[in-house]
Amino acid sequence: MTTTHPETIARDPHAAGAALSIEGVTVRFGGITALDGVTMQIQPGEIVGLLGPNGAGKTTLFNAVSGFIKPDAGTVRLDGAEIQSMFPYERVTAGLGRTFQHVKLFRGLTVYENLLAAQHRHLSASPFAAMLRLPSWRRDEDEARELVERMLDTVNLRPWSQRYPWELSYGTLRFLELASVLSLRPSVLLLDEPATGIQQKEVEQLGPMLRRIRDDTGCAIFLIEHDMGLLMGTSERIYALDFGRVIAEGSPKEVSADPQVLESYLGRTRRAEAAGA
Amino acid sequence: MILAASRVPIVEVTTFGLAKGAVYALLALGLVLIYRTTGVTNFAHWGIGLMGVVFYFLLTSKAGVATPLAAGLAVVTCGFVGALCYRFVFRYVKRTNQLVLILIALGVAQLFTALSAMGFGFASTTILDPWLPISTVSVGSASLRSTQLIAIGAAIGIAMLFLPWFRYSRTGRALRAVAQNREAASLAGIDEHRYSTVAWAIGAALAGLALLLILPHASGERGGVITTADITPFGIYLIPAFGAALVGGLVNLPLAVVGGFVFGIAENALILAPEPWSSLRSTIAAILIVVLLLLHTERFFVARAEQEALET
Amino acid sequence: MRSTITAEEAIAEAEAPPAARRLSVRFPSLTRGRVITGGVLLGLGLIPVGVDAARNTTFWEYIGAYIAVWAMLELSVVVVTGYGGLISLMPFSFVGIGCFATGLAVSVWGWPFWLAVPFAALATVPISVAVGAASVRLKGLYLAIATLTFASALGETLFKWEAFTGGQAGHTIDRPKLGPVDFSGGFAFYALTMAVALVLVWMVHGLKSSRAGRAMLAVRDNEREAQALGINSTKTKLTALVIGGALAGVGGAFYLALLGSPAPAGFQSPYVDVSSVLLVVWAVIGGIEAASGAFLGAFALIVQQQVFQGAEKLFVFIGVYAALVLVVFLIFRPGGFVQVVKIQSERIRVNPARGIPETAGLVLFNVIVIWLIIHFGTVATKT
Repeated sequence: MTTTHPETIARDPHAAGAALSIEGVTVRFGGITALDGVTMQIQPGEIVGLLGPNGAGKTTLFNAVSGFIKPDAGTVRLDGAEIQSMFPYERVTAGLGRTFQHVKLFRGLTVYENLLAAQHRHLSASPFAAMLRLPSWRRDEDEARELVERMLDTVNLRPWSQRYPWELSYGTLRFLELASVLSLRPSVLLLDEPATGIQQKEVEQLGPMLRRIRDDTGCAIFLIEHDMGLLMGTSERIYALDFGRVIAEGSPKEVSADPQVLESYLGRTRRAEAAGA
Repeated sequence: MILAASRVPIVEVTTFGLAKGAVYALLALGLVLIYRTTGVTNFAHWGIGLMGVVFYFLLTSKAGVATPLAAGLAVVTCGFVGALCYRFVFRYVKRTNQLVLILIALGVAQLFTALSAMGFGFASTTILDPWLPISTVSVGSASLRSTQLIAIGAAIGIAMLFLPWFRYSRTGRALRAVAQNREAASLAGIDEHRYSTVAWAIGAALAGLALLLILPHASGERGGVITTADITPFGIYLIPAFGAALVGGLVNLPLAVVGGFVFGIAENALILAPEPWSSLRSTIAAILIVVLLLLHTERFFVARAEQEALET
Repeated sequence: MRSTITAEEAIAEAEAPPAARRLSVRFPSLTRGRVITGGVLLGLGLIPVGVDAARNTTFWEYIGAYIAVWAMLELSVVVVTGYGGLISLMPFSFVGIGCFATGLAVSVWGWPFWLAVPFAALATVPISVAVGAASVRLKGLYLAIATLTFASALGETLFKWEAFTGGQAGHTIDRPKLGPVDFSGGFAFYALTMAVALVLVWMVHGLKSSRAGRAMLAVRDNEREAQALGINSTKTKLTALVIGGALAGVGGAFYLALLGSPAPAGFQSPYVDVSSVLLVVWAVIGGIEAASGAFLGAFALIVQQQVFQGAEKLFVFIGVYAALVLVVFLIFRPGGFVQVVKIQSERIRVNPARGIPETAGLVLFNVIVIWLIIHFGTVATKT
């Protein structure tokens, strides 16, 4: 384990100050142990990367943290509060946001309506107020539209606002997903392979954009990514995962030189070659 | 059913239940085959079967064809109708679109219901001539109807022929390949459309046979009667047939056959019960079906989570 | 609208697949032209009265009231299946609950009709909640099958309970009165039901542009993503079911007032399935995602019934034609009439020289088909 980075040693893993604290999380499916006692901390405003070959358990970890999978053991804390028994939508209210590996969003709604739907947290009108067109509904709608108008310009989606998701390029779709999740004003943002499937030109824009998001909103970002340029260039700290266990932790330079990390990637390739793939 | 005051007709009721179960089993077999191969939950299954009965009726009453031959031709026609359903409709709908698939199936069900009403001459009741030999068979102290025994025998016989054929024959293996993974199958040179059509044809023919085993024989020598209750989108047989198919999770063929008989017995065992329980047959079936649905949903979610774990 | 197109938009335009050929479901939302839509519906609603006035008859008022009541029933399908995405094959069972609850309240307990209507809506809530509980664990197809079994179970239990249904003939009630106004007259009742139907359409339309409505659409399209955006999907589905059930309940109350005494047999298996399937099918044809689609679907269904009256065996031809129309719509225009109107008006606006003849051709084609069906239907039944 690479723990020579001074900041890593000085930090108390159980400090109440951690934005996201994952403690001993274990997930088993039948005979497979997908996550084995994973422990990680993300400090407020940090950008942390998560690295690992396919099948390492990265998305499973995100699913466990965001509530789509129930862990068999362990605790997840968001700003000190335990969230591991909350439903996914409750964790959103607590301040957690996440994106998915394969972007789908809401295909029956335009970009504008997708963003309106994302304002759910901030609105409060009841369905009856809507059906009777009461003033409380009107106020709600005005507020929603204002929030969306601002978001459209922030993420530069205005030209697409009346389009449907299937009319957008995959890169634009990812930006829409990002805009939707940012509408939640999360304090911790889990991004699952944001660069997959988009063109190189847009990948290069992603790094600075993530840093800008962090600077503007102060949220911490936890990033799964296979694109090494993006991962190493944006993360301040990286965890490496393999077979459900944390095998390395440290600065990008340290982790990329860590022999265990290299083995987990190359070893996979070597074993695959040996098997005659 | 007349309950003799001196003796509870367990054997008769059981046989009746098994005969109903035979119909459910054949319907369920078709449902599973179609679902597995093309991903369509065939809510139109009853309607397709009705088309076979319509054809049988037209052949026997209008064209004067001998009844066993008419039955055979009707079953074949039914298969043909099923093939057309796939070719002209279901082939064009994406498998993943559950809502659209169900709505289209409902539309097709509606279509066949209406065509059947037309075919039966808009009468509120239609008499069907029987095609199976009608006699009474004595087993111990019970007197059983030959038509019921034949129905049971037919279902079991067909299952015993069909299941191994599906497993081991070339066509059967091709059908299973298409069911498993359409892309892989077509890459392996298997024409998925051709085999999907075959699956629909077989499923539809089974539906036609199932209906022809029971509908023309409900009243013994006088044949059978088609009433307005039958010319509805689902009839009274399709829901238990779905239940039977669900015993196998909509994908397991032998369990669907077993499920058919289970539902037949479960429903009709209640006849022996005192009122008001004996009129709650639909409710029993409903409870059974909901339990089965919950059981299978559980497994579906776990399997999905496992799959996702492997893909991270 | 837009006067210039950016390069990006032009590229996207070229790369986007043609809307008409998408086989996957694309439900357009009707957010513009609300005034026009309201006007169109009102206009359609006034046609029966116009026909009566022109022919000096009173028959078509009854048909108008029928359309209005059926529109209320269709609205419940729009909310549950169109907005909520839940495949319920038991909408007519909810109508039955509303119907007999009203009958019970009015003819047995002596309540005024106006008090019975909200009671009818409330009476549907327990069953809506039960379906909601099922919908937590059962998705899509499985829920559809479950609702089918619920419908048949209800038919065997609730709709055979004589205290509730009022016996084999059902309850009988008179048309309602409100103070000095008596709605038992043909025209008065038609005006009442049409007004109520249009108000409900307006309310359901309003639901769509709201937090709750968008939550329903989101959960329908992608439940996981909806949850990830903070939407409580269980509560959302339950809301859709309760609102849909209540709409069916209200419709059931007016259904009773319309028919006088509907028999409970119509709500038992297998007859309840006939009506439920009819409700779902015609909601799709009208446009399942739009409140106005409910009205259009009801209008089309009832008018067809009457148009084919001359063919005598109307049940058959409705079924055949409806099924064909449904299948064609689902493959090419899954948004129903609402989508057709939207696409055609867009085409006319963009290129009138092509759009108008195309639309006229479509209308003409349908008129010819209908005429042929009537003609041959009448001929066939004369032999």
